[in-house]
Amino acid sequence: MVDRGNPIIQVKNLYKIYRVGDTRVHALDGVDFTVYKGEFCAIVGPSGSGKSTLLNMLAGLEKPTKGQIVIDKIHIEDMTENQLVEFRRKRVGFIFQSYNLLQTMNAVENVALPLSFRGVPKKKRNEIAVRYLKLVGLEKQMKHMANAMSGGQQQRVGIARALAVNPKIIFADEPTGNLDSKTTLEILKLMRQVVREQNQTLVMVTHDNNLAAYADRQFHIVDGKIVRIVEKAEADRMSGGTAADERMVGGTLDMTAELPEEAVETAEFSASPR
Amino acid sequence: MRFLDLLGMSVSNLKRRKMRTFLTVLGVIIGTASVVIMVSLGIGLNGLMMEQYSSYGDMTMVTVNSNTYYGGGQDVDESQFLTDDTMKQIAVLDHVTNVSPVLRADVVLKQGLYYCSQSITGVSRDYLEKIPLGQGELAAADDNELKFYYGNRVIMWFSNEKTGAGYGDNEELPPVDFMGKPMFVIFDTNAYWQTRGNNTESSVKPPKKYLIGTGGVVEGTFRDYNNYSYDIYCDAELLKQQLKTIFRKNPIPGQPTNRKGKPYPYFVYSQLMVFVDDMENVTDVQKQLSDMGYQTNSQMEWIEQAQQTYGMVQLVLGGIGAVSLFVAAIGIANTMMMSIYERTKEIGVIKVLGCDMRNIRNMFLLESGFIGFMGGVVGLCISYGVGYAMNHFLSLGQMMMGVDGDISRIPFWLAGGAIVFAILVGMLAGFFPSLRAMHLSPLAAIRNE
Ligand SMILES: Nc1ncnc2c1ncn2[C@@H]1O[C@H](COP(=O)(O)OP(=O)(O)O)[C@@H](O)[C@H]1O
Ligand SMILES: [Mg+2]
Repeated sequence: MVDRGNPIIQVKNLYKIYRVGDTRVHALDGVDFTVYKGEFCAIVGPSGSGKSTLLNMLAGLEKPTKGQIVIDKIHIEDMTENQLVEFRRKRVGFIFQSYNLLQTMNAVENVALPLSFRGVPKKKRNEIAVRYLKLVGLEKQMKHMANAMSGGQQQRVGIARALAVNPKIIFADEPTGNLDSKTTLEILKLMRQVVREQNQTLVMVTHDNNLAAYADRQFHIVDGKIVRIVEKAEADRMSGGTAADERMVGGTLDMTAELPEEAVETAEFSASPR
Repeated sequence: MRFLDLLGMSVSNLKRRKMRTFLTVLGVIIGTASVVIMVSLGIGLNGLMMEQYSSYGDMTMVTVNSNTYYGGGQDVDESQFLTDDTMKQIAVLDHVTNVSPVLRADVVLKQGLYYCSQSITGVSRDYLEKIPLGQGELAAADDNELKFYYGNRVIMWFSNEKTGAGYGDNEELPPVDFMGKPMFVIFDTNAYWQTRGNNTESSVKPPKKYLIGTGGVVEGTFRDYNNYSYDIYCDAELLKQQLKTIFRKNPIPGQPTNRKGKPYPYFVYSQLMVFVDDMENVTDVQKQLSDMGYQTNSQMEWIEQAQQTYGMVQLVLGGIGAVSLFVAAIGIANTMMMSIYERTKEIGVIKVLGCDMRNIRNMFLLESGFIGFMGGVVGLCISYGVGYAMNHFLSLGQMMMGVDGDISRIPFWLAGGAIVFAILVGMLAGFFPSLRAMHLSPLAAIRNE
């Protein structure tokens, strides 16, 4: 399903430098990578390493200081704010850590919202919303208001909302950051399953190596630089021949059960000056 | 994004904070109502004034006076005479519907012991038709008998021929009856004065008296006033015939004579009455006439002055109302700012989800415009209510102007204008907040508190 001949995101020599007073923070310090169509990628790294900054720039929410971002063969680094909005509307789905459903709307209306920005008539977009809500397993919660749902349910609505516009790429920034470990697993599996079925590309940010192990590929980022790219097969082999998801199926997500290699890496990173 | 979806989002946001929306709308209600009520009072006062003027007479009438004084016979400029030819010239001007001559002839009226020396006014039939008669009625167009139509105050001019006592002396109306008793008319007033009393030495023989029928009397008692109250009217053509048969080749009193003291072969009018198609064109016609060298008068001159005064009054009243609407606008702006602060995250989210910047701005403009709209509609309803109360329960019109009529008037343009204005005020007040919302960073949505 992953089409290696068909790159959908190409990042070249990407820099993001924030100015805080007199000091300059290199949030991204020369990043290069490519994501292919149909891939599920994870951006992994410790807190403050620049993951969110990278994702925001891929989604056109922030402008890079330097470098190129080509999404679906379109350069987005020089776009105006208006062009970026249009770009997002047509090509990007977004899943938030804190769900960010509109409180005044029920599940169907929330999922249909991005379609309304595209001018889809109400009847049509509600049909689509219902279809995606079924896909994420919320047949019974269609008419629930956002605050009448659990975190897991809200995130399912969030996933359905991201899928509803049938985007080229879905971005997710710590999508399970606010969920308990059991729900985290459910959501993660759901995301993987759904993007596979829909043949979507998913880029997920997480600080958790175990969650990253679900992805086809992991980009390990430290201090604004990609230090390592891990393929799924490789990751599985390193975890002692056991697939990462199987390791967590038991229900208890053991955060300390790090892969040996990663444990070394983490120790290394914390030692390096920031 | 579709307009209905946009509207739906705006309305649902307003519903979210019902109390706050209500209070903001209340401000607009008060603002709109005060503007509308104030302006409606201005319109009402103006209208009452116009009605008062129009009750005095026709406002579309322009009086044309000749520049030439033709009594003396010395420096007579014949080209300035107001004649039938002049009437034809004026009749073809733009906006002029009709021209009536004003042919004055001095007469003495006698009924029993009472007499009065007056001039009668011969006018066209169109003019006669405009005179509001209280008694009698206008003779048929083909009636060739000369008839007089008396102003309702003419009776006050009569006095006792023997004692000289009139209304001015004893506050008692002379017992003159226009409709019931015959009225004798002396056209040759020179002869009348020369033979008056017992002046038997005079070689002049007493003038002939003519019995002239009364066509009617202008409406109102002798205390009421309108434009026709003081004059005695008759048909100009019939009057001309009458004068010709009486005086033949002799000069008619009141008509000019040439240097040799001979009368002209045509009648010269003392004035012309020009009727204009619409009040608005009166000034225009007056200007054309004065360009032609005539002196003109009309009620419009007075009305225009009065209207300027009332325009000022209206402006001041409207200004007072506008202050409260301005305060309401500040309220709207404040509400919108609050709402944007509260919804920073939400705005960020919809921006991330691909909502156009323009749509975000329009959403907030619609919201503030909707506040204006609701306030405008309710404020207008309240204005109608207050206006109704002022017109029907307080009868302020009677108190302030002494005229019966509505003091508060809300014409269609004011009603429509008020709502449109309230919407505009709302949108204007929401404009800068909406720009702010539009430029909010989408990153606000992603940051986690
Ligand atoms: N708006 C900003 N202004 C200044 N510094 C920022 C800003 N956003 C992020 N940073 C800095 O950039 C670095 C990367 O941040 P971020 O991408 O949020 O990290 P992560 O998501 O991996 O935790 C951090 O050191 C952070 O302090
Ligand atoms: Mg982050």
